[in-house]
Amino acid sequence: MIKSDPQFNQFNKLHHFLSIDGLDKTTLTHILDTAEGFTSVNDKAIKNVPLLRGKTVANLFFENSTRTRTAFELAAKRLSADVLTIDLVSSSTKKGESLLDTLRVLEALQSDMFVVRHSDSGAADFIARHVAPTINIINGGDGQHAHPTQAMLDMFTIRRCKGDFSKLCVVIIGDIRHSRVARSGIAALVTLGTAEVRVVGPQTLMPADVESLGVTVYRDIDKALKDADVVMGLRLQSERMSSATIPSTSEFYQAYGLTPERMRLAKPDAIVMHPGPTNRGVEIAASVADGKQSVILQQVTYGIAVRMAVMSIIMGHGEEVREAEMNKE
Amino acid sequence: MSQLRIENARVIDPANVFDDHRTLYIQDGKFADSCAADASVIDAKGLIACPGFIDLYARLREPGASRKGTIESESKAALKAGFTTVFCSPNTNPVIDSTATVELIKQKAMAAQGVRVAPIAALSAGLEGERLSEMATLKRAGCMLLGHSDKPIEDTGVLLSAMEYASSFNIPISFRAVDAAIAGNGCAHAGSVATRLGLPGIPVAAETVAIARLIELCKSTQCRLHLSRLSSARAVELVRDAKQQGLSISADVGIHHLYFTHEQIDGFNAHFHSAVPFRTLEDREALRIAVREGTIDSICSDHAPHDNDAKLAPFPSSAPGLSAFDAFAPLLMGLPDLLNMSLIDIIARVTSGPARVVADEERRSGEYSLNPGQAADLILIDPAAPADLDAQTLLSQGRNSPLIGLASMLDCTGEDVPLKGQVHYSIIGGAVRRSPE
Repeated sequence: MIKSDPQFNQFNKLHHFLSIDGLDKTTLTHILDTAEGFTSVNDKAIKNVPLLRGKTVANLFFENSTRTRTAFELAAKRLSADVLTIDLVSSSTKKGESLLDTLRVLEALQSDMFVVRHSDSGAADFIARHVAPTINIINGGDGQHAHPTQAMLDMFTIRRCKGDFSKLCVVIIGDIRHSRVARSGIAALVTLGTAEVRVVGPQTLMPADVESLGVTVYRDIDKALKDADVVMGLRLQSERMSSATIPSTSEFYQAYGLTPERMRLAKPDAIVMHPGPTNRGVEIAASVADGKQSVILQQVTYGIAVRMAVMSIIMGHGEEVREAEMNKE
Repeated sequence: MSQLRIENARVIDPANVFDDHRTLYIQDGKFADSCAADASVIDAKGLIACPGFIDLYARLREPGASRKGTIESESKAALKAGFTTVFCSPNTNPVIDSTATVELIKQKAMAAQGVRVAPIAALSAGLEGERLSEMATLKRAGCMLLGHSDKPIEDTGVLLSAMEYASSFNIPISFRAVDAAIAGNGCAHAGSVATRLGLPGIPVAAETVAIARLIELCKSTQCRLHLSRLSSARAVELVRDAKQQGLSISADVGIHHLYFTHEQIDGFNAHFHSAVPFRTLEDREALRIAVREGTIDSICSDHAPHDNDAKLAPFPSSAPGLSAFDAFAPLLMGLPDLLNMSLIDIIARVTSGPARVVADEERRSGEYSLNPGQAADLILIDPAAPADLDAQTLLSQGRNSPLIGLASMLDCTGEDVPLKGQVHYSIIGGAVRRSPE
């Protein structure tokens, strides 16, 4: 039978960071607290700490990414790790080599940690179940399933700006169905005890039984935004227009675009978030993305500290496993 | 062995509503009223004797994918399941759309000395859904059932024509109902679990829209329609209504769908990645009720053996399907308690039930019983023996079963159903094909 949660090692500690699902409030809070400590590192003139000195972090990107990959690279470098970035988008897996074969080759590079991005939901989970036990896995985004470091940097941003989750109303707008950012974000918000999580968008962009995630569904964006503390936009993938999910970007903007007028329905001190890159004039007005309520660039900055926190925590737990494995030999 | 006497068995013969101890006689490949004093004897004390099971849908993989299974390996594994006749999917390479492929399969089956292999003839040439296959010729070659594997015929005009043509020759057509456009790239039931895991979903409407379309065409063509491997409560309702209207419609369900739900895919367990998705508890309950009340006529294996690599991939990229033969008999033996049915009624769903679906009135093949004169296809099963699901002794080439090594369903689904039941003897046309060591 399948082990219930592969994120935890034999010492019941977080060994991989694959999804928010299965993690409790204490674990999430610990990550956020650890990230707080790293924000000061990033403000210093010399931005390195030696926590991962001598360790190798390999970025395995089976799917295109610039932002996430760069943020992981920077986080690993600031922890003094050696960083290896392998672009797998156009390489072996396209030539018919199985993911498992690729994995075995990469294991032979003797890295300590893999950061994985893949277009299949469950890919990070699969890799974690099949990789050597001494390697830590961080999910950098798998299909439509999870993007847990994005969720944690979003939580970090919200906590910094707004404090106590139990008093907050958070609204997520747009393509929930195809979004791993939304899934992980919702899971984190619910676990951290957010008072209300609302999702809003047309039925074509909602997954089946979306309420089962613990959210309230709205069709009307004006009603959804009423008295919101946090407003999160999502990137609308261009391929959604070619399929029959929405008629056009202009119609989407008319119906669900985050405009200055609509932002007035939220609380006056509400913040605006977006995982980037933004489609201005599609899901968000430029004046809102650049406005004073926007924390979009802070999210990017905090992303480094949060990824440093996740990396250092699981690398530490990985050390225990590596020692245990050494003692076996 | 021309004469055989089976003594002390509990004989279950659903076609005759018979469940009692009696002696069975076999002469020259057929059941008889008596046999010579020097006939061979099997003492079947503690065993159940019943007609051999008929499987209306299994993939034997050969020709074309013998790395996953061969007619030899799978037809022997089918004996272990209790089957004596297996209707095999036409999605081989080449597709079963010519008498040459039918002959090839028959020869391989003959050589294997396993179950009777009954090829399902492809309804369209190459399963491409464009031109009709030579159905009358294929029927003459021995095909008793037409089908289209898991592929829908998207062009409704072609579908209508295929059903009209098949009805001219009174050949039943088996469809797994799915609307390809709605199912899209879905790989799991569109519900709470797939939503949480970010897996593209297959909505219930993908099945029900296709069933409604088939039922309407069945009405207008008068063809014999068999709906293969139902998955949802709403599908059951549609079939029940159509039967009440008196249409010539029958249906089956894959045995795993009477046990599993979408909860099992949690943790991205690729063992439960099935082309016909496991749906909700409510859907499973409706399928169970449909088996009990007879809306579902038959239980099939939906056997889908795979090589190990096929499942070693992230869930959406793993090959769909479960290897079913090795665990089929114990799963079937668990059903009377689970479904609150008598054993004879459960056995009817794998004997007289499927026999009626494929019955050819002209050849009077509808009767499937232990009556004298009938071909002696029967099995002797020990219902109390622990299931043999040891990884070392599996007979199917496909190891892709979540039940390997289990003694009870408790660890798998949480339902306390012990896995018991071993087929000790399989006799086909009077010849013993499977017996204890």
